[in-house]
Amino acid sequence: MRKLWAVLKREYRETVRKPSFLVMTVLAPFLMAALMVVPALLAVKGMGERRVAILDGTGRLGSVVAALEKESPGGRSPFARGGREGRGGGPTGKILPEHVNLFGVDPKNAVGPYLARLSKEATPEEQLLDGVLLIPADAFERPVTSLTYFSRSAVDLLAQEKLGRVVNRALQRERLAARGLAPSEVELLLAPLPVRTVQVTKSGQERTGGEGSFLVAMVFMALLFIPSLVYGQEVMRGVIQEKTDRVVEILVSSMTPMELLSGKILGMAAVGLTQMAVWMTMGGFLLGSGLSQAQTAGLDLSTILRPSVAVWFVVFFLLSYLVTVGAYAAGGSIVSSEKEAQQVLTPVMIVFMVPWFLMMPILTNPDSTLSVVLSLVPIYTPMTMFIRILVSEPPAWQVALSLVLSVATIAFLLKATAKIFRAGLLATGKRPTIPELWHWLKAA
Amino acid sequence: MGQILSVLDVVKHYGKVKAVDGVSFEVAAGRITGLLGRNGAGKTTTLRMITGVLHPDRGRVELFGATVAEARDRLGYLPEERGLYRKMRVLDHLLFLAEIKGRSPAAMRPSAERWLKRFELWEKRDGKVEELSKGNQQKVQLAGALLFDPELVILDEPGSGLDPVNVVLVRRLLQELAAEGKAILLSTHQMGEAEKLCDEIVLVHDGKVVKAGPLAEVKAAGGRDAVHVEFEGDGAFLAGLPGVASGRVDPNRAELRLAPGADPQELLATAVGRLRILRFEVVAPSLEEVFLEAVGGGGPAEVAA
Repeated sequence: MRKLWAVLKREYRETVRKPSFLVMTVLAPFLMAALMVVPALLAVKGMGERRVAILDGTGRLGSVVAALEKESPGGRSPFARGGREGRGGGPTGKILPEHVNLFGVDPKNAVGPYLARLSKEATPEEQLLDGVLLIPADAFERPVTSLTYFSRSAVDLLAQEKLGRVVNRALQRERLAARGLAPSEVELLLAPLPVRTVQVTKSGQERTGGEGSFLVAMVFMALLFIPSLVYGQEVMRGVIQEKTDRVVEILVSSMTPMELLSGKILGMAAVGLTQMAVWMTMGGFLLGSGLSQAQTAGLDLSTILRPSVAVWFVVFFLLSYLVTVGAYAAGGSIVSSEKEAQQVLTPVMIVFMVPWFLMMPILTNPDSTLSVVLSLVPIYTPMTMFIRILVSEPPAWQVALSLVLSVATIAFLLKATAKIFRAGLLATGKRPTIPELWHWLKAA
Repeated sequence: MGQILSVLDVVKHYGKVKAVDGVSFEVAAGRITGLLGRNGAGKTTTLRMITGVLHPDRGRVELFGATVAEARDRLGYLPEERGLYRKMRVLDHLLFLAEIKGRSPAAMRPSAERWLKRFELWEKRDGKVEELSKGNQQKVQLAGALLFDPELVILDEPGSGLDPVNVVLVRRLLQELAAEGKAILLSTHQMGEAEKLCDEIVLVHDGKVVKAGPLAEVKAAGGRDAVHVEFEGDGAFLAGLPGVASGRVDPNRAELRLAPGADPQELLATAVGRLRILRFEVVAPSLEEVFLEAVGGGGPAEVAA
């Protein structure tokens, strides 16, 4: 125990003393904040204003302009609750319509000068258009026709979607009005109804706020995975350093590989906890204001961020940490340089990250066969089972089984790693082949 | 005095190469035992099996009558290459090395200070290891192997990387430790150094022990049949004289081995006639000659390098 403690203490002290640790600890929250805020700002700015000419062949859709102006600059964020329109700051940006009444004229014949105004070179700034929408003259009569949207960018999807929606609504209105319905009746007929998601738990309790789950799940998945990855790499770097410095010979002659490995892993865990504690103190305020902001934005996170989630988070974080760091330590022990380690570990990490890529199917279908199987595969348990617990209610036996399997796997992994560690630490130069690795596992 | 270490018929393969092939020897308290051999003879592998870094494929090692794992805390080890954390501070590092041997760092602090002072590193105790010269790093390593007062000290090439002054310092230190009753096992390929330092020697070649025993006995077993001659003139003919079994002739100096029954007086008479003799000595062969004879080959230069 004393030896394990000695390794743990050394690992902790030497890491915390490094200038890079201080820099990371202080700067990381700011970097994170910047990472989250800057793209949002850029998106809003980048979408900016769209100047669109609407060539109205019917000559009766002047209301479209008013509707677009009413809707802009907001639009629906994919995460906002249904039925709340027109909230500021949406990602679709503002559309500045320029309505051209071409009553009775086929807009195809009139489109030329407007298309010319799409060209940046040939057009003065105030005349420049970002898009041209053609509404054919027979839009009311013929059900089989289409709107045409010209744009410089092939993937101006949001503007396209928005224009289409608004114009179609106006078309529907006019079609109904043309059949003699009063405007108030039309309004009633076309009023959209929002969908409110209610999750019914087994105890019959009802929970709302499912829309927020996606964001929260994403944040949690990142939290389960990224720190483990960072500290795993740190441990790996340490192991490689010990090999190149030849300290391992002293270490291995003084203690069991298991003591050495456990000391390193726990030492790094202590570093991680220190860092987290600093961040939580720093982020406590941010999180508080963030939550209340989310609340006003229509995201009710209180049902998803319940106290039991915190407990599960700690459990799955530990599992994820042990699996990842163990793998990195073993990786570090079989290679002789960091560059080589990256080559070996990149495929391994991609395998580890499968749940991250499958997040959508797991989230939308937390009790599907895919989700259940993934959550029972030990290396995927931390992320998948945690997400399932977050958004659904997996049966207790599945949770218990996944925990048992995970702990057993970790015990096995640590043992195997300790063996590979011992043989690998002393081998320098050539990387071992798979048969050699197997031999190491059986020996010692 | 009792046996501290017994190496019993240990074998170690690296793939298909047999690095150590049935080595057995013992190390006693109060004695300095030298494990001698050329590079690649299996010295380091043998030491690594004793320190528990490697497991023998066959055979076993007994430390203080117990297994290596049980007794590893009573053993101090200086590996061949420096094995220190470069970024750690010197004093912290020494205390860490004591702690992984199961000693409390607080209790070991006075000892660490004593060793640092003795090695003239006290001023540098708060500096990082990487700031020290190679020789000073070697001394830190040595202090780390000794400060927790182990009963058995194992040193792999202790002289490498040290200047002549420090070589003498280490030699004195080891003799002092042996006088205190500690058992010392060191490996070296420098026969001259071993001859000055060791009480017992174990000569290994190609993974096998070729000669072992107290230094004086090993040398005496060869008989007093070596002739060292210093001269002026061209002595190349000396090696070809009747009665000379083998020999090496350098400019102005020759080391010859006599054939059984040959008379050194006759050799001297012949030599006097053709050279100006400055020194003529009939001696027991040097350890180097014994070694060369035992392994039967290789130029002396290769061994002494």
